[in-house]
Amino acid sequence: MVPFAGWSMPVDYGSILNEAKAVREGSGVFDVSHMARFVFRGDDVATKLDYALGGCITDQPVGVARYTMLLQDDAGILDDLLTYRLADDEFMLVVNASNRERDWDLLAERLDGVECSDLTEDGGGILALQGPESLNVLRKLSGDDNFAPAFLGLGEIETNFGTLFFARTGYTGEHGYELFPSAEQIVPLWMSLMSLDVTPVGLGSRDILRLEAALPLYGHEIHENITPFDAGLRFGVRGWKTRDFIGGDALRALPEPDKHLIGFTCEKRIPREGYNVLCDGEIVGTICSGAMSVVLGKPIATAYVPKNVDGDFSIDFRGKPHAATCVDLPFVPHRSRD
Amino acid sequence: MRPNDRSYLDSHEWAKIDGNIVTVGISDFAVEQLGELVYLDLPEAGATFIAGEAFGEVESVKAVSDLNCPVVGEVIEVNSDLCDNLEDLQNNPFEGGWLMKVKIDGDNLDGMLDLAAYEELVSSQS
Repeated sequence: MVPFAGWSMPVDYGSILNEAKAVREGSGVFDVSHMARFVFRGDDVATKLDYALGGCITDQPVGVARYTMLLQDDAGILDDLLTYRLADDEFMLVVNASNRERDWDLLAERLDGVECSDLTEDGGGILALQGPESLNVLRKLSGDDNFAPAFLGLGEIETNFGTLFFARTGYTGEHGYELFPSAEQIVPLWMSLMSLDVTPVGLGSRDILRLEAALPLYGHEIHENITPFDAGLRFGVRGWKTRDFIGGDALRALPEPDKHLIGFTCEKRIPREGYNVLCDGEIVGTICSGAMSVVLGKPIATAYVPKNVDGDFSIDFRGKPHAATCVDLPFVPHRSRD
Repeated sequence: MRPNDRSYLDSHEWAKIDGNIVTVGISDFAVEQLGELVYLDLPEAGATFIAGEAFGEVESVKAVSDLNCPVVGEVIEVNSDLCDNLEDLQNNPFEGGWLMKVKIDGDNLDGMLDLAAYEELVSSQS
């Protein structure tokens, strides 16, 4: 167990690599109850969120989740998050645990007049059920053989411990679900998933899986000095050319980014955050994230480098350069829509 | 059971003295804390180190860690097969997973932890 944003989190339940394989091949469950859950209600909540966040919220249908970001005035990324439209006048936002207080204060300020609730410590939580077998697991759990929600869809299933709210979302690139049990449901849900042979998965595997899928992590690929355009996240700021939102004017004024996020593979050693990336012997960037890919069977990493850089890449492993190969992102194709 | 015939560093290396030859390795606790190993870098025979100096690196899926030399001396033998057989280090860190042998000149293992002190350290870090 390790401390993380005030929570105690499992890095693994025995084997980081086997847990990651279980999610790619079968199903795994992550207890991500540390992630902050905010609910906002009010007649004009969609319009106000549309101004407060980078993404277009006013046209988000009820019953659908969307990915977007919280931006600074200069379009730097303060956090990334999912918005879940629960009703015309009600949204849930799930944000990173490490940014909970800052996001809450900022949203309360930007959403003046909206009813805000922080549900993070209500005793309920989030269990992320991910992997190609996850659909079958939920069919067994609900007894509904026709259960087949759309990608990014929200809904409810009936279980023997009551009605369970879910979203077809995740952070692995696999077909998967995020389940939102109440305080009374969370233990029976976990136990039911264990009895259905779902593998418990820790933070170590979560990082491998999200990096294989090239899904950004706040503090690594995205932070205040990175814009959505730098990070290749235009889909998270839909309508940016015309909408009025915080960070919008800055986005419209930005020149084309001069750097881009690229992927590397290498042999044996795992590039770690902060290691220098060299091209023909010159430092051109630093590693954002690195992990051992279970699908490729070799280490993978991301880094921002200037767009005009081309040549033989290497990574400086604590004073010893090792060759690295530039590859297209994501490292592993997404199957989340399958 | 951890062997009682050697001394330990608080950075989890062990040293076993036999005449003027010291065999060096890392403890089961170090291996367990690292988790699944991916890489091991060891020095060449003939290299010399002072006590506390890094003589190599061990890396796991989770983390990378320096290997600290417990004594002053010259490396006379390296368990270089281990670099391609990390499971030997993972499974048997006190015997088949030894890392190198160092020839010492009048040095001893004073200042290292005996088994009882090392056990106490490990239980405080567990």
